[in-house]
Amino acid sequence: MAITEELAQLEADTLAAIAAAGTSAELEAIRVAVVGKSGTLTAYLRSMGSVPKEERAQVGKAVNAARVAVEEALAQAKTALAAQEMAQAIDAAAVDVTLPGRAQVIGTRHLINNIIDEISEVFLGLGYSVATGPEVETDYYNFEALNAPADHPSRSMQDTFYVRDLSGAAAAVRGESEVLLRTQTSGVQVHAMEDEELPIYVIAPGKVYRRDVADPSHLPQFHQIEGLVVDRGITFGDLKGTLDYFCKQLFGPERKTRFRAHYFPFTEPSAEVDVSCGICHGEGCRMCKGTGWLELLGCGMVDPNVLEMSGIDPEVYSGFAFGLGVERAACMKYNVPDLRMLLEGDMRFLRQF
Amino acid sequence: MKVSLKWLSEYVEVPSNLKAFCDRLDLTGTGVEAVETLGATFEHVVTAQVLAKEPHPDSDHMWVCTVDVGACNLDEEGNPQPITVVCGAQNFEAGDHIVTALPGAELPGGVKIKKSKLRGVASCGMNCSARELGLSSDHSGIMILPEDAPVGVPYAEYAQLTDMVLDLEITPNRPDCLSMVGMAREVGAMYRIPYRNPLNSMAEKMQPVREGRAIDSTVSITIPEPDRCPRYTVRIIRGVKVGPSPDWLVERLASIGQRSVNNVVDVTNYILFLFGQPLHSFDLAKVRNAHGYANIMVRAAEEGEHLETLDGVDRVLTPDMTVIATPDAGPIALAGVMGGAATEVDEGTTEILLEAATFCPGRTSRTSRNLGLFSESSMRYERGVDDHGIDVRSAAACALIVEVAGGEVVYAITNNEGLVDAWPKKTEPKQLQFRISRFCQMMGANIPRAIVVEILKRLGCAVEDNEGDRLQVVAPTFRPDLEREIDLYEEVLRLWGMDRIPATLPGGRGRFGTRTAAALANDIVVATLRASGLNDTMTYSFADPADMERLGMTFEAGVLPVELINPLNSAQSVMRQSIIPGLLRSVAYNQARGVSDVQLFEMGTVFSTAEGRKKPKERQKVAGVLAGSLQRAGWNTAPVQLDFFDAKGVVENLVRELALFKVRFAPLSSEEAPFLQPGRAASIVAGGTALGWVGEIHPRACEAFEAKGPVAAFELDLGALQKSRNAARPYVDVPSFPPIEIDQAFVVDEDVTAERMGQVIKSAGGKLLESVQLFDVFRDAEKVGPGKKSMAFKLVFRSPERTLTSDEVEKTVAKLQAKVQGATGAEVRG
Repeated sequence: MAITEELAQLEADTLAAIAAAGTSAELEAIRVAVVGKSGTLTAYLRSMGSVPKEERAQVGKAVNAARVAVEEALAQAKTALAAQEMAQAIDAAAVDVTLPGRAQVIGTRHLINNIIDEISEVFLGLGYSVATGPEVETDYYNFEALNAPADHPSRSMQDTFYVRDLSGAAAAVRGESEVLLRTQTSGVQVHAMEDEELPIYVIAPGKVYRRDVADPSHLPQFHQIEGLVVDRGITFGDLKGTLDYFCKQLFGPERKTRFRAHYFPFTEPSAEVDVSCGICHGEGCRMCKGTGWLELLGCGMVDPNVLEMSGIDPEVYSGFAFGLGVERAACMKYNVPDLRMLLEGDMRFLRQF
Repeated sequence: MKVSLKWLSEYVEVPSNLKAFCDRLDLTGTGVEAVETLGATFEHVVTAQVLAKEPHPDSDHMWVCTVDVGACNLDEEGNPQPITVVCGAQNFEAGDHIVTALPGAELPGGVKIKKSKLRGVASCGMNCSARELGLSSDHSGIMILPEDAPVGVPYAEYAQLTDMVLDLEITPNRPDCLSMVGMAREVGAMYRIPYRNPLNSMAEKMQPVREGRAIDSTVSITIPEPDRCPRYTVRIIRGVKVGPSPDWLVERLASIGQRSVNNVVDVTNYILFLFGQPLHSFDLAKVRNAHGYANIMVRAAEEGEHLETLDGVDRVLTPDMTVIATPDAGPIALAGVMGGAATEVDEGTTEILLEAATFCPGRTSRTSRNLGLFSESSMRYERGVDDHGIDVRSAAACALIVEVAGGEVVYAITNNEGLVDAWPKKTEPKQLQFRISRFCQMMGANIPRAIVVEILKRLGCAVEDNEGDRLQVVAPTFRPDLEREIDLYEEVLRLWGMDRIPATLPGGRGRFGTRTAAALANDIVVATLRASGLNDTMTYSFADPADMERLGMTFEAGVLPVELINPLNSAQSVMRQSIIPGLLRSVAYNQARGVSDVQLFEMGTVFSTAEGRKKPKERQKVAGVLAGSLQRAGWNTAPVQLDFFDAKGVVENLVRELALFKVRFAPLSSEEAPFLQPGRAASIVAGGTALGWVGEIHPRACEAFEAKGPVAAFELDLGALQKSRNAARPYVDVPSFPPIEIDQAFVVDEDVTAERMGQVIKSAGGKLLESVQLFDVFRDAEKVGPGKKSMAFKLVFRSPERTLTSDEVEKTVAKLQAKVQGATGAEVRG
């Protein structure tokens, strides 16, 4: 058989094999066998030397033509097979997208800290700074500098935990001490007025302690956020506006506030602030004990005595202060049935927030 | 304080809309804590009128009556319809006004009224006698009401049997509101209406009798320290007959929850609640000495003195307390707090020595607290009882004692009042100014001058209104809280109405909110711990004094726990020195409820103190615990038991996020950290600063806290983290030339740490060695050798300037192998 015929036969066989190839691997095997280094077609190119001179041009042309045809066919088949294989792979890789994902487990924020963060954010936006203070205070910072001197009846408003004083000082009443667990974050007010430049716009979140046995609605330790503003020309209207804005930010724009006159030793005039009940919207329900209002915080204009004790002239400056029970706010937002859950560390509770 | 509206309405007009009244009290500063209905309500018992009275056809003594009950019985068209009542009483006629119980009524004794037939005649109710209503024992016939009595009105309403009682929260600055008259004045100021004070008319009834021995020949009063007792007065009533009180007095006291004792004690209580003046009655016979004298001294108690108080308890007194004493009997009462048992009024008492006084608020409060003795009197003295008017209030009391217990008030030689009065310290009324413009400016509202003046006057202030901006105000002595101008502002604001002040926001330029560097660092810590899968929690700051021993945590000598003087219970009697016990309890809490995967962290304060220290040391810590596994078994995940390295990984995340440099983990021995499992415990140091520790809690400690181990944990000092934190890590160029990576294993003795190997390899690798990463640790006595381990490292070589050749890297590795061998005795593994 003449070489050209052999070539034609080889080309035809190869093209048939390519067409029959079902996988990229089969195709690759054909490529290696035919046009690879030691492939059959390559062998013809290599053996050109042994072809008689006069036939060389014709044979060379035929070999090249065969090679081009084979390579084109290979390329086409490769593309087609690749597409086919990808389609198969994709089919095979399809999953039930409702199966759970493979997420890195992210930890949660405690409900109380969450609300403290939220409240801090509101007041940062109003230009307040965030401060902190010690949890064990002296009588001076917890009471006296807040206009509640020793034996002042206002002290009986909150039951205090006293700390053993190791300095040797004795208290006037048995079972009491000049060192105590702070019953309110208000002490931070005094530190702020003593240490900060005027004007002061500050909030101080923190843990406070009162001698209440833990039950569904009481904890011996809870959190307060204290706010203090001292500036020129601060009015009671400013206090109302600030707290009204704050309540709407925290609970929603439809909520209303109500100021009830009250008494705190360190503010005058003083008020308690109620927020309209979010469940009955003021109609009266079980949540708000039929009043339509929920008690949220205490506030007032800073008492001139308190300003004076911190060296601020009350004729020039005025201010307001407020103290908010964070647990109370949390209960209002989330309806937690038992405050003790906040201190148990139950993963089933914590993971909800 | 309980206030009966029936009682209160004798002195001021009480609004008929109870809800609106309570709201107004709330808004003006008197919290309404509860509203109670008192007395019989007698539902379905109404006033009625007999229209006709016919003899019963089948009875010789019963009557068939047609009774008009007004709108209480309606026909089908809704018109009032008289009812038929069969009645056996004989004392009435047609036209009489009576009381009828309708079907549905339940009378005292459980009698239920329903429609019935009496000898064949239908009866739709019952005409009531006073006895049937439980009002008296009179059963001579049915009750006949006056002719002008309305028809068809609930009987309880007609007879004013019901009373509403408010439980009010009186704030500690308002002693004046702790009385019925004080509340009447307050209500008058709230509504700007007049109130009536019955004091003078009551006091005028007292007439001392000029007979026998005068009071000032019997009693003397000495007050060595006027600060303890600004005023002390006594009167004597002789010839009293101690016995039961009249009904009206018993009812009055009952309406505010007070039990009747006897007529004399009841009057003193009545005066206390009416005027806020505590009184004490002594049996004069038990007070005076053999010569008939009662030389009263109000003085400091002597150290070690005893007094048996009225409650029968023998009390040891201290000089801080004030006593009423006589030279002969010693202490006879604890001033302002409680009387003595030995001088108590009893049934045999005929001569009363009536004390009306005021005592130092602070001392009264301390004495009460020191003895745990709180009374209606002490509560008022500790808030302040007005020294003015004591004599008049005492006179009112004497007049009433005479009225209900008989006897006569003993006269005095030196005055017409029958009074012995020591008043060494007189309260001067406060002269205050009220700048109207400043007030309006500070409140942020224009409050009319006339309103300001009226409110102050209604509260009892004398106001001089001289056209200018300033009002001159004299505060009444019964308002010890009105000491300064601002106190008056508060009064006007609350009674004008806080709700009427427009809401504004403070202005102020150049103001910006900031957070402290510490708070910002804390935020990063929280975010990192949460990203590491830990859940933020809170536990008690209180701890069991045994916790540290139970855990095995020790402190330097001299470091003491902070003790509470009045803890709630012994298991919470100190402040925590570590957050770990609380977290271990939470681990156990979860495990006990079938939750085995627990990852918690808490950021909080720990406390310690030392001998001689007043205030304890507080440190902020962050602690975490990891138990179980982070991932639950899922369709594509297998749970992996959390251990030391998970806790360490969390700490490493913190190191990265806080940009802490030169951080070292060093093994902690069982002596250094007995609460951690030896061999799985490390201290953490950044530069020279100790940050804390990480490790697995010792199995013994887990057991002590009933937690199932392993529990991996860490506790870091937040202050140290904040201090060591860097704002950012320095920028390093992103590599532009390819690396050459070589895996290299060394066989070393067990005691050669990963840290040591890393350090040696790093220093031996020269500057081309970019990173060293341990990827395998392998132990096998046969293949590696006993007491040895194989550690495989991936070494990454790279030059920032050019592509490295394999030749130069091979040379570097050969040098590195030799150096590592030399430094650690490592064997190069093939």
